[in-house]
Order: sequence, then structure tokens, then C-alpha cells
Amino acid sequence: MFEVNHIDVYYGELKALWGVSLTLDKGEIVALIGANGSGKSTLLEAIAGLLPPTTGEILFEGVRLDKEPSHRIVELGVCLVPEDRGTFPGMNVLENLELGAFSKRGRKEKEETLHVVYGLFPILKNRRNQLARTLSGGEQQMLAIGKGLLSRPKLLMLDEPSLGLAPLVTKNIFEAICQINQTGVSILLVEQNVHIALKVAKRAYIIENGRIVQHEQAKNLLEDKRVRQAYLGIHST
Amino acid sequence: MVQFLAQTFVNGINVGALYGLAAVGLSLIFGVMRILNVAHGEFLMVGGYIGFWLFKLYGVDPFMGLPLVGIFLFLIGIVFYKVVFSRVAKFHEEVKLKNSLLIAFGLYLIFPQIAMVLWTADERAISPKYSGQAFDLLGVRFGYVPLWNVCVAVVIVLAMYLFLNKTYFGKSLRGTAESWKAAKLSGINIEWTFMITFGLGISLAGIAGVLIALTQELTPVMGMPWTLKALIVVVLAGMGSIVGAFVAGLILGIVEAVSAIFMGPYTIAIGLLIFLIILVLRPRGLFGRA
Repeated sequence: MFEVNHIDVYYGELKALWGVSLTLDKGEIVALIGANGSGKSTLLEAIAGLLPPTTGEILFEGVRLDKEPSHRIVELGVCLVPEDRGTFPGMNVLENLELGAFSKRGRKEKEETLHVVYGLFPILKNRRNQLARTLSGGEQQMLAIGKGLLSRPKLLMLDEPSLGLAPLVTKNIFEAICQINQTGVSILLVEQNVHIALKVAKRAYIIENGRIVQHEQAKNLLEDKRVRQAYLGIHST
Repeated sequence: MVQFLAQTFVNGINVGALYGLAAVGLSLIFGVMRILNVAHGEFLMVGGYIGFWLFKLYGVDPFMGLPLVGIFLFLIGIVFYKVVFSRVAKFHEEVKLKNSLLIAFGLYLIFPQIAMVLWTADERAISPKYSGQAFDLLGVRFGYVPLWNVCVAVVIVLAMYLFLNKTYFGKSLRGTAESWKAAKLSGINIEWTFMITFGLGISLAGIAGVLIALTQELTPVMGMPWTLKALIVVVLAGMGSIVGAFVAGLILGIVEAVSAIFMGPYTIAIGLLIFLIILVLRPRGLFGRA
């Protein structure tokens, strides 16, 4: 359903991704793992149309995403929740969610989706008249994901959803991510908490210095000695 | 004495409402697009002359003609956005601000020349029959035209406030002002948003131009002084608040009127003095966010 074929991406003069390929089936959770600066966020931004690739193609349900502007990509059902959360700090929670549903695609089913999001994160309903910047870190992440859901995505890309969150909050967020996935939304996950990422994902790609170096079933990677040393910090056996 | 002060206050509000209206358009464009349009006053002048033409050539009442001027300047704004400013919009912030300044300064050099050809260097004014008429209330003189000006300015600013806070499209403008990246990822076509914003800002400038032409003279070189006034008001107000910009305009008008009592012709320095003090002591402005 979703394919990235040999894309190169540049940050100005700097080449950030080298011939990256990736596939994702409908309803799958796929994790993208790598060190800081390895190009994970760049890949997600390239898919979302913020940094269009110079070569290669990105295909979603047969449509070339790499030829479309970012708002069209949202309209086609691909949504990125970026690392900085992509919320509007000076607007209240409800306005943030409404703008999440700005696309025609999202607006048609705004009320129903809003209901679903409030069900998933009840705190957002209580905080709906509060400015986004006054929310706690966990609440902001919930808002970011909720806002993304209001665009009615078929593919949701999450960049570091656990960044800066307490373990318990991270657990809640990941439970919500699994629930979202169960409603049929495919998920492409970038996550520094490799352990939890490999637990929820079916498959994972490892990216180093802008290149995909390994692609494996998630449970195999959890057992992989090199991965355990490099990303999980486990050195024994 | 009380009457004199009250009269000064009223005069200040009459002028301040125009400062506010001129500043609202500048603030809107800068807030959403991060383009400092120093040619704002030039568009304001064009609006004034269009109002003058409508009145002089076709006998259109200046207040009735406001929607026409607004729509016409909106279209002019869109043309200028498409032809000139959209080309710099794609650069990143710093380059964009610099290039847009250069372009706007270029327009500032060209516009007065064109205006001199079209309307000559003579001072013009829009003077319908009722201009100059006034009534007294508790010993304070209220001119009909200035009073209407204030009413029109208040209504427009309130309408802008409601548009930005209550409509879907208005909210998307505010979202774009907050973060282009977040706006793009929400499915907002920010290219479109920029175009409409620029059109709206220019339209507000044009309407302010007509109101100004009703109470002051219209000349081809009036643009830059009005850009400066609007800039002072925007700095005074801080970014991100339409109502704040209008209130700051009123404050500047009142301060100028009061200071004129003892400073006479040096009043013009007051605005610049406020500009400096605000930049030094409170760079985010009176109503701006940190």
C-alpha cells in the first residue's frame, strides 16, 4: 500500500538520505530505528512533503506523493505528527483539533472523529478551552496525536511520541497508539525508546547515516545481539 | 479646562482610529507571512486616490464606496502577491525578510512617481457636502466625518476579530501565523493562506486610505509617513493581536494629541520616541506575547 523507492533527500547542500527504500502494508505498525542524526525525522518529513526527495519515488495507494505539496498529502490520508508536536501553542485545544480537521477529508467527519479522540484521551475534553502551550508534556503529545487523527489518516507517522515523557505516560500513549492501529490506521513509528517500539511494531528498519542498513521482523531484532548492544544498551549474551 | 482636555481626547481618538486601522493590515501581513511590507502606506495612498476618483468622477459617496475600494485593493494585493511577493515567500525566514524589505522599498520608490502621473502632485481631498459639519455635546465638538471614521474603523476591526476567531478559514490564518510547519502538516495550503492574507492586509490599507482622505490631504508622498505610523503602532502593540494593534493606534493618537498642546510641531517626534522606548524596555510590545 505504501512504498518508498530509493529516495535521496538533501538539507540544502547536505545530503541526508541515500537511496532509502521502505514498504508498509495496510494496518501494519512499522518502526524506524536509528541514532540521533541518522535521518529518521528527515525520512518522515520527506514523506510528508516538507522536504521533497530529489530522486526516487514515494507511492501511496498508487499515487506519487513526492510530486504533491504537503497539504495534498494530508488530503490523501498521510499525516505526520512531528517531533516538535506540530501543535499551535497560542491556540486552545479545541481550535488545535479543529485545525487538525482542516482538510476536506477530515472536515467531513470532524464531529465523529472528535468524539473518538475525546474517548481516547478524555483529558483533552476537559482541557478544550485551555491554550495548547499550557498543557503538560504528556497532554501536548495527546493533543498532537489527536490533532493528527482529526485529519482521518490512513497512514499516521509518529516522530518520537515518547520524547520527554514519564514512563507511565509513555505507556498510556503507546496503548492509545495500539488502539488507533486496531481501527485500521497504518503506523510508521520513529522512537528512541527502541524496546517499546519493537514491542508494538511488526517490522522494523534500522537507519544509519542516512542509509537503511537492516530490515527485520521486530521480534527478531529484539533478540539480535548487535541491536541489543547498539540500541537497547544490553551487553550480556 | 476639562472641556479642552475632553476635546483633545476626542481629536486624539479621531486620528488614532486611523493609525489603528492602518496598523491592523500591516500587523496581519507580518504576523502570518513574516513579510514587513514597508510599502503598506503606498497601498493606503492608492486606496485614498481610488476613493477620490470614485467621488470626483462618479459622485460615489466615500463611505458607500468603501466596499468597492476594499475589493479593488484586495485584488491589487493578490496581484502583487502573485507577481512579486510569492517569489520571496519560499525562502527561509531571514532571506525572506531581507528580500521582501528590498522589494517593498522598491515599491515605495515607484508608487509616488506613478501617483504623480495619475493624480498630479496637487494636494487632494475627498470633501462631500457633510464634511466640516459637526455637533456639540457637553461643549465638545464632534465632526460627523471623524465620528463616522471611528465607527467604520471599529466595525472593521471587530469584523476582522470575529473572522480570525470564529471562522474556520480565519483560524487557519492564525494557525499559519503560529507555525508554518504545523499549518502545512494540518493540511492547510499556506500558499493560498498567504495570498488571501496579503489581499486582506492591502484591502485594509486601502480602506484606511479613504478614511484618511476624508480628514487630511491626499498627496503622492503620503505613503511613507503612514507606513512609519503603522510601524510604530505595531511595535507598540506587539505581534499577534489585531485588537491590540487598534488599541495601540488609539493610544498613539491620544498621546500625540495631548503632547501637541505643549510640543506644537515637534509632536511627530513623540511617536518615534515611544517606538524607541518600547523597543528598549518591552520589545514584545504592550499586548504581545513573550
